[in-house]
Order: sequence, then structure tokens, then C-alpha cells
Amino acid sequence: MNPPGSLGVLEEKEEEHLATPVLGPSIHSDNPQERIQARRLRIAARLEARRREALGEYLDGKESEEDQSKSYKQKEESRLKLAKLLLCGTELVTNIQVAADIREIHRRVEEEEIKRQRLEKLENEVKTSQDKFEEITMKWEEGKQKRIPQELWEMLNAQQVHCAGLIEDKNKLISELQQELKAKDDQYVKDLKKQSGDICLLLERMEEQKAFEVEREELLTNNKKKWEQALQAHNAKELEYLMNRIKKVEDHEKQLNKQRIWDCEEYNTIKIKLEQDVQILEQQLQQMKATYQLNQEKLEYNFQVLKKRDEESTVIKSQQKRKINCLHDVLNNLRSKYNKQVKQFQEENQSLTSDYKRLVMQFKEMQKAMRHFALIDDKQFREIWLMNEEEVKDLISRAFDVDRIIHTHHLGLPWTAPDFWFLKNVGPISQQQQKSATQILEEVLMEAEEEGAEEAASEPESYLDLPKQVSAKTTRKILMLLCDESGFLVERKLLSLLLPLDKSECYLLKLDAIFSALGIESEDDLYKLVNFFLKYQAHHSPPSQERTSLVSPLEKLDPQGEKEGSLVDREPQEKQPPPSPQLIHPNDVLKILEAFVTGLRKPRDFRAPVKLLKVVRDDSKDSAYWKALTTVIPATTLNLWDALYTALEKYHLVLTQRAELLIENSSLERQNTELQQLLQQYLDSKINSELQVPPTEVFRVPTK
Amino acid sequence: MEETQITPSLSVRSWSSISTQDQSSISTQDQSSTAGQASSTGPQPSKPSVIPPPVKSKGPSSGAGVRRMRRIIAEDAEWSVAIVPLLTELCIQHIVKNFQNNPILKQLPQSIRKKVLNHLSPDLPLAVTANLIEDENYWRRCCTQRWPVCHVDEHGGSWKRMFFELHLENLLKHFIPSTTDPEVILNLLPLCRNYVHTIRVDQFLPPVQLPPPLRGGDQSDSGSEGEMEEPATDHYQLGDLVAGLSHLEELDLVYGVKDCGMNFEWNLFLFTYRDCHSLAAAVKACHTLKIFRLTRSKVDDDKARILICSLLDHAALEELDLSHNLIGDRGARAAAKLLGHSRLRVLNLANNQVRAPGAQSLAHALAHNSDLVSLNLRLNCIEDEGGQALAHALQTNKCLTTLHLGGNELSEPTATLLSQVLSINTTLTSINLSCNRIGPDGGKQLLEGMSDNKTLLEFDLRLSDIAQESEYLIGQALCANREAARQRALSPSHFMSPATAKGPENPAG
Repeated sequence: MNPPGSLGVLEEKEEEHLATPVLGPSIHSDNPQERIQARRLRIAARLEARRREALGEYLDGKESEEDQSKSYKQKEESRLKLAKLLLCGTELVTNIQVAADIREIHRRVEEEEIKRQRLEKLENEVKTSQDKFEEITMKWEEGKQKRIPQELWEMLNAQQVHCAGLIEDKNKLISELQQELKAKDDQYVKDLKKQSGDICLLLERMEEQKAFEVEREELLTNNKKKWEQALQAHNAKELEYLMNRIKKVEDHEKQLNKQRIWDCEEYNTIKIKLEQDVQILEQQLQQMKATYQLNQEKLEYNFQVLKKRDEESTVIKSQQKRKINCLHDVLNNLRSKYNKQVKQFQEENQSLTSDYKRLVMQFKEMQKAMRHFALIDDKQFREIWLMNEEEVKDLISRAFDVDRIIHTHHLGLPWTAPDFWFLKNVGPISQQQQKSATQILEEVLMEAEEEGAEEAASEPESYLDLPKQVSAKTTRKILMLLCDESGFLVERKLLSLLLPLDKSECYLLKLDAIFSALGIESEDDLYKLVNFFLKYQAHHSPPSQERTSLVSPLEKLDPQGEKEGSLVDREPQEKQPPPSPQLIHPNDVLKILEAFVTGLRKPRDFRAPVKLLKVVRDDSKDSAYWKALTTVIPATTLNLWDALYTALEKYHLVLTQRAELLIENSSLERQNTELQQLLQQYLDSKINSELQVPPTEVFRVPTK
Repeated sequence: MEETQITPSLSVRSWSSISTQDQSSISTQDQSSTAGQASSTGPQPSKPSVIPPPVKSKGPSSGAGVRRMRRIIAEDAEWSVAIVPLLTELCIQHIVKNFQNNPILKQLPQSIRKKVLNHLSPDLPLAVTANLIEDENYWRRCCTQRWPVCHVDEHGGSWKRMFFELHLENLLKHFIPSTTDPEVILNLLPLCRNYVHTIRVDQFLPPVQLPPPLRGGDQSDSGSEGEMEEPATDHYQLGDLVAGLSHLEELDLVYGVKDCGMNFEWNLFLFTYRDCHSLAAAVKACHTLKIFRLTRSKVDDDKARILICSLLDHAALEELDLSHNLIGDRGARAAAKLLGHSRLRVLNLANNQVRAPGAQSLAHALAHNSDLVSLNLRLNCIEDEGGQALAHALQTNKCLTTLHLGGNELSEPTATLLSQVLSINTTLTSINLSCNRIGPDGGKQLLEGMSDNKTLLEFDLRLSDIAQESEYLIGQALCANREAARQRALSPSHFMSPATAKGPENPAG
């Protein structure tokens, strides 16, 4: 108990800055009552201190906020004051030392000066005395030479006087120095006294400062008294507050008691309720436990199953992994194979493309050859045709001749020569064939290739119609333009395929694709297109309907015109000079195309049958022609002829019979002759002679 | 007056916790009685606790009689009504009684050990107590019993250290060579070697020729009789002692005799060459020495050179004080050399005979030095040449904080250079130019230099013939600097503030 209490007291004292000393009763007092009083006071003080500690914080807070500036100012002021005092005090004290120092310095300077003078003086003295001494010693030498005692005595006296003088001088000096020493001693004593006085002063000043400290302490005690009073006032107020507080606390306590009773009742009811709840809950718990048990078993079973499954799945997983590995291997192999194959195929592709190129070349050559052969075939066909026709005509003329002879000579009828169209025909029936657009294209482009070397003139048949309408060059240019401008009509795949090919081939294939997209199939269509272009260019904005109407009758003419149509009808069509294709602006191409395509859609329906007729007609015409040729002699005539023939044959038979008979006759005659000759021979032969009976003899008899 | 006041305040502390009265009021009121009782209260508690069993008191004996009448003393923690003392009490009493022959302390439990220590007599032989007892309370009692004035702060706050240091000092002070047995000191050595950090001896007695061997203060009186003997005036040789003390850090010596009064003789104050050599060797051998002071001992150039020579490259030395001697330029040159060969922080050559050449060599050393913090050349005569050299050195030096050039016959040229230094230097905090002839113009120049300086806290220009106006203005600048320094010290932590605020105001005299 004691030590902490005492500590508390100490602390408190420190807080209060050593509170008022002996005001209350002392515990050391002899009076027991007083001691008790003192203890009570002490306990009260301790309690107070504790309470204050508890309350201190916010009280301090309030006060500090108010007093801070004030106290700070005061503190600052006193600090400055103290610093000044300290400085002044030290200066005051050290002033003495400084003064002593400067005195000492002055003394030293003086001392030095005096010392120097003294040394000078002494040196002078030494010099003079040395001189005197030398003089004296010289005289001693002189004295040795003196024989006369009187002189010697005189001299000795003189020497004595001199020596005495010297000694006197020295003594004087010594006394002087001694006097100085004495003065110095006095000075020293004075200095000592002065220094002791200084020290006294020093001490006095230090004491003064100590006095200041005492004053300060008094001040402190005064302040503490004030502080104490303020504290007491404060305490009284505190007490008042405390009483108020106690009252309040009592009120609160009463309220609390009421509250408590009420709470107790409530508590009991709630308790009962809760106990019931608890029972219910326990029942539920039991149920829950049972279900839990069940669930646990179920879960365990599930767990087992899952475990098994997990194992299986791990096995499967490993298998799958193995499989994956295998498949990876396979994949790798396949990849390598694929790569190999890709390479192989690339190589193959290259070889094939080269083959293809070669084949194309070959094909071209073949085509060339074919064209050549076709020409030759044509020629041959024509020749053969002509030959056959000639032959036929020959035969016909012979037949006519024969008919005429039969009519005139045998029948005696007048004969008129029949007039048939085919009789006048010379050469094969040449129907102008419609080439497909691509062919024309090819030709056009081929021409471009072979420009210069082979002029269009070399093959007049295939370009028969071109010069009539437009030149091949303009056509080509228009086609080029078309090809460049309407690339969108070409399929992309095709484009990619076209890349490695030649420029002209490229154009060709592109145009082919464009035409197929536009619906251009035949040569006419192409020319129509070209013309369309040119016209468009010429009129600049002619209505597309007009054009189609202009073209469509042409189109209709073609299939109907049979033999003459195509060739004849076109000639008067285009007389105006073809405008240069350069004038066609690339941007207009699409417009033109659009117009063209809308126009082209109508005649499209006629297309298919036209094409079929073209092929059939060729043969039928020929066969008709030839059939007509065969039927140049009418059946009546033939019947006539047949009858005539039978008659004639009968006649002939008769005649032949006659001829046979004649021949027989003649042969019999000839046999006869021959037999005669033979007989003759036999008869003439030598054998006959030799023979016993010559045959001749035998025959001669029948024969005559 | 003041010294006597301290003792009671210390001794009173033991019961101050009990009394509610003001401590200071007690010290003033009971001052006479407590001062007298201080010695008697020590042994007293052991006796009353044994003899009158029921009544036990540590309180002042003035009220002892009255106390004895009371049956209960609530304030005494140890008070008990028991008539027969406890066995432990008896045992403790026995241990205390026989401590000299059978010292039992370490084996005791902590609480009992304390009681035993409280009852031990401070008169026990040191051979028993020195290495056994660490308790400060015991040593405090020993100190307060022997010496009326105890400044424990001067001994590192340790009573035990204080006891041994004062004890050793006492022995050395009264040691008379060839009369006193050197064993007296050497026997103490094993006991005190771990506790003595400082030796402060302000008198060394010369050997005595006359037979009467007297002790103490009387010795100085008898010393005067041996005036005829000149050669044998060697003093005690410190070598063995210094070598034996393993923690010695400070050596503060004055070769002289105190209180000789009218028995003054010159040869009482002789610091002989032999003394010098032995001291030099002792100092050299002491590797823990930090502070070496040899003042008022008529050290001339040669002796100073011998001493400084032995201090060259000393590992620990931080402060050298050779003030109030007869050191001239050669000694100063040696000191300058020492500056380059040690880590000296404080050099004091006050009141010697250093002149311009010595100051110049010191300045040269100072220019390249980075350890020296304080240089004191008070009361020398370095004059303007030396002062200018020092000022030049300060233009490059970045370490020196305190410079005392009081009383050195300095004048305006030095002031001119110093004013330049003031505007550059940022380390100097204190300069003393008092007692010089700086003159009004020099004062103006110094004021100019001061206007650029923000670090100088002290500038003593008393009695240096400068105009009062400039002195006042310099004082204002210093005040501003001090305030700035205080603010600077406050900003890192306000706990430092009182130390720094008061620190620089202490005069460096």
C-alpha cells in the first residue's frame, strides 16, 4: 500500500510544483488527532489526484486551448528573459576574468619593456665595468715593472680606489635591482590583494546570481500559492458538480432498479419460451441427426462409387493419354506424310502445269493444223464436190442426151431440156456459218499475236464481215477495255488460276468468263457488242431501246435468211466510219454494258433453235441437192425408159440370138476351115506317107 | 553555503517519499541538524534495529525520543510489533558483524542481500569490499562518510568509481617520494584498477630531506625546510599506477604544492626532466587515455616537446590541456605536429608564451585538420601575424567550432581576415577576441562579416576597443543566430531544446 501511495504523492507534488509547504497538519506531529487529520488529508489528496487524472484529460483540453497562446507567450517571454539574464550574468562574471586578462597583458607588456631596459642597462654596465676592470688589470702589469715602493704604493692606492669604484658601481646596481625587486614584491602583494579582491567580487557576483535564484524560488512559491488557490476554487466547483452528478446518479439508479425488475419478469417469460423452443429444437435435432445419419451413409456410398469412378476415370484418362500420345505420333507421321505429299503434289503440279502448257501449245499447234486441215479439207471437199458435180453433170448431160436421143430418135418426140436451179449450181452449197463468240475472240486475239505476219487478207473467209463493220484493231481494243473494266464479272478462283498464264491467254479466258456472264455466245453478239460500243460512243447517249430494236431485226433475219441472209443483209448496215475506241472512256464502259445487257435479254430466246438448224441444214441441203440431182430425170421418163428398155432388151435378145447364131455360124465356118487346114496338114505330113493307111485318105473321102 | 546544501538534499531523499513536506524547505530548515547527522545516520540504523526491537526508525533522530513513545508508526514499512526479531534478522546481523572475516554476499537471495548491504559498515577494509560489493548505496555511504562534498556527476554518476578515484587522489596528493612507501599505492592498484577512470591530482609533494615525516596538510609546511636540496626534487612516478589502471581515461595533473603560504619556495614547483620523461612514458603506455591535462606546472618548450612526442599517434587521446605553462613557439610547433598525428578534438594552450611563429605552425596544421573542435590560445602573444595565419587556416577548415584568441595583441588586420572567414565559415559557433586591440574599424569589418554568418552563437569582443554600436549590432546578430539554432534544435525533437539552448551560453573560459 505504502510505496505506490507515496509515489502518487510525489507525482502529485511534481504536478503542483512543490505545493505550499507546512499549511495543514503534519503526520509527524505528536498530537494523534493531528496525525489522523493529516492522514485523512493525504488520502483525500490522493483520491483527488486520481479523480483529476481521470477527469484531467478533457479539462486540460479546454483549459489548454484557452491558455495556450497566453502561456506560450508568457513562456517565450520568460525564456527570453532568462536567456538574457543568463547571458548578462555570465558576462558580468567573466568580465572580471577579462579585466584580469587585460591587466595581465598590460603588465606583461610593461614587464617586457622594463626587462628590455634593464637588460640594456646591465649590458652597458657590464661594458663599462669590463673597461674599468681591464684598465685595472693593465695597471697591474704596469705595477709589476715599478721598482719604487712609493710609486707602487701610490699605484696600489689608485688601484684600490679604482676597485672600490668598481665595486661601488656594482653595489649601486645591485641595490637598484634590489629596490626594483622590492617594488615588484610590493606590486606582487598589491596584485595579490587586487586579485583576491577580484575573486571576492567574482564570488559576490556569483552570490548575486544565487540571490536571483532565491528570488526565483520565492516567485515560484508565490505562484504556487496562487495556483493552489485557483485549484481550491476549482475543487469547490468540482465538488458542486460532483453533488449534482451524485443526484443524477441516484435518479439513474432508481430508474435502473425499475428497469431491472421489469427486465427480470421479461427474462422469466422469455426463458420459459426459450426452454420450450429448446425442447422443440432438440426434437428437431434428433430428427436432423437421423437424417444426417442416413445422409452420411448415402454420401459414403456415393463417395465409394465416386471413388471407383474416379479410379476408372484415372485408368481411362491414362488410356486416353496413351491414345493421345499414339495419335500424336500418328499425327506427326501424317503431317510429315502430308508435307511430303504436298511437296510431291507441288512437283506434280509443276510438271502438270508444264505438261499443260505443253499440251496447250500442242493444242494450238493442233488447232493450227486443224485449221490448216480444215482449209485443205474444204478445198478437197470443194474439189471433190466439183469433181462429183462435174461427173454428175456429165452423167446428167449424158442422161439428157440419152433422153433427147431416145425422145427424138427412138420415140420421135420433141425434147426440151429441163430447167432446174441446181443444175446451174457450181461448187458446194456454202452456208455462212455462225461462229461462237469465243472463237471470234480467239481469232481476234490470235490476229493480234500474229500481227503483221499474217494479215487478215490471208484468211478472208473468217473475217469476211469485220472490215464491213469495224476493224479488228478497234474490236480488240474495245475487248481489252472491256476486259480491264469488268474484271468483277470474272470469278476470283479463275483469276488466281490465270495468274501464271500468258497475257493473251489471260485476256482470252477473262473475256470468255465475262462473255459467259453477259450472255454473249455467238459472233453476232460480239459484234453487236462492239457496234453497240461504237454507236454509244458516236451518239454519246443513244437510248438503249433504239439500239436493241435496231439490232433485233438483224438477229431475226439471221435464222430465217437461210442461205443468202447473213451475208447479204449486213453489207448495207454500217457505213459510218468506226470511231476510235480511245474515245470511249473507261468509266462509260459499265454504263454501256448495262444498257447492252438489258437490250440483249430479249433476243436471247431465239438463240437455241438457231444453233440447231445451222448444223442440220448443211447435210439436208447437200443430200437434197444430191437427191435432186439424181431425180433430174423424172419417173415418167424412167418408166418410158424402162419400157423402152424391155423392148429394146427383147430386141436386143433377138439381136443377140441372131448374133449368136451368126457367131455360131462363123465359128462353124472357122471350124470347118480349121478342120480343113488340119486335114490338110495331116495329109501333108510325112507320117502319112509312112503310115499304111494315111488318115488323109480316110478323111478325104468324107470331106470333099 | 551552496556545497553544504547539496549533501542534505541527497541524504534526505530516503525519507522524502514519506514526508509530505516540501523538500527544499526541509533542507533549509534542518540544514544544520541534518548536515551533522549525515555521518551519524549511516551506522545508526543497524543499531536501533537490533537493540530496541519494537521500535525501528530511519527518521531523523530529533524526533526519536518522541517516537519511542508511540506504539504504532504507520509510516515505517519495516515496523513490527514483534518483540523477538526474526531468525533471518538475526542471521543478517551476524553476517554483517562478521563480514570482514567471512564476507557472504553473493550466495544470499536478492532481498536479504539488500538488507545486508544496508547494514554494512563503510569502514570495512577495501580489500574485502572493493571487488565484492557493487551496490551503489553502500559506496554512497562510504563517500558521504569520508568527504563532506561529493559531486558524483564528476565521476560518471557512479559512487563506487567516485570513492576509488577520490581515494586514489588523496593518496597521491599526500605521497612524499622516498618517505611514503610506494606499496601503499601499488597495493591499492588491484582493488581499484577496474573502477578508476579519472585521476585528478592538483598537487605533487617533493621529497623531504628533513627527518620529521608529517602527514597531510602539515607536509607542505615541513617541505619548506628542505630548500637546500635541489637535485632530488623528483615527484612520484606515475608509470606503474597508470599502467595498472585498465580504464583510465582522464589524467589531470598539476605539479605544484597547494597552500604553502609563507613557506613558498621555487623548488616546490619544479617539474623536473625525470618527472617529464616518466610522465611521457606513462601517458604513452596508457592506450585508453582520452583527456590529458598538465597545467600550472612550468612546462617549457623542451618538456612540452618530450610530452607531445610521446603522444604522437596516440589512439584514443581527444583532449590536450597544457594551459598556464611556459610553452613557446617550439612547443606550439610540436603541438601543431600533434594535430596532424592524432585525433585531438580539444587543444588548450591558454596562458603560455606562444608567439607568431608558433601560431603560424598551429594555423598550418589547422588548415588540414578535420578533428579539432576547440582551440584555446588565450593569453599568448601571437599578434597579427599569427592571427592572420589562423584566419587563413579557418578559410579551409571545416571542423573547428570554438576558437579563443583572447589577449593576443591582435588588431585590425586580423579582424579584416576574420570577417572574411565569418562570411564563409559555417562551423564556427564561438569566437573569443576579448582583450585585443581590434579598434573601431576592425569592429565594423567584423560586423560586416557577421551579417553573412548564420551559425556563430558567441562572439566575445569585450575590451577590444571596438565601437559600442558595432558591438551592439554584433550582439543582435548573435541573438538571431541563437534563436535560429534553438529553432533548429527544436524541430527534430523538443527534448533536445533545453540542452542546446543553454549549452552555448556557458562561457568557454
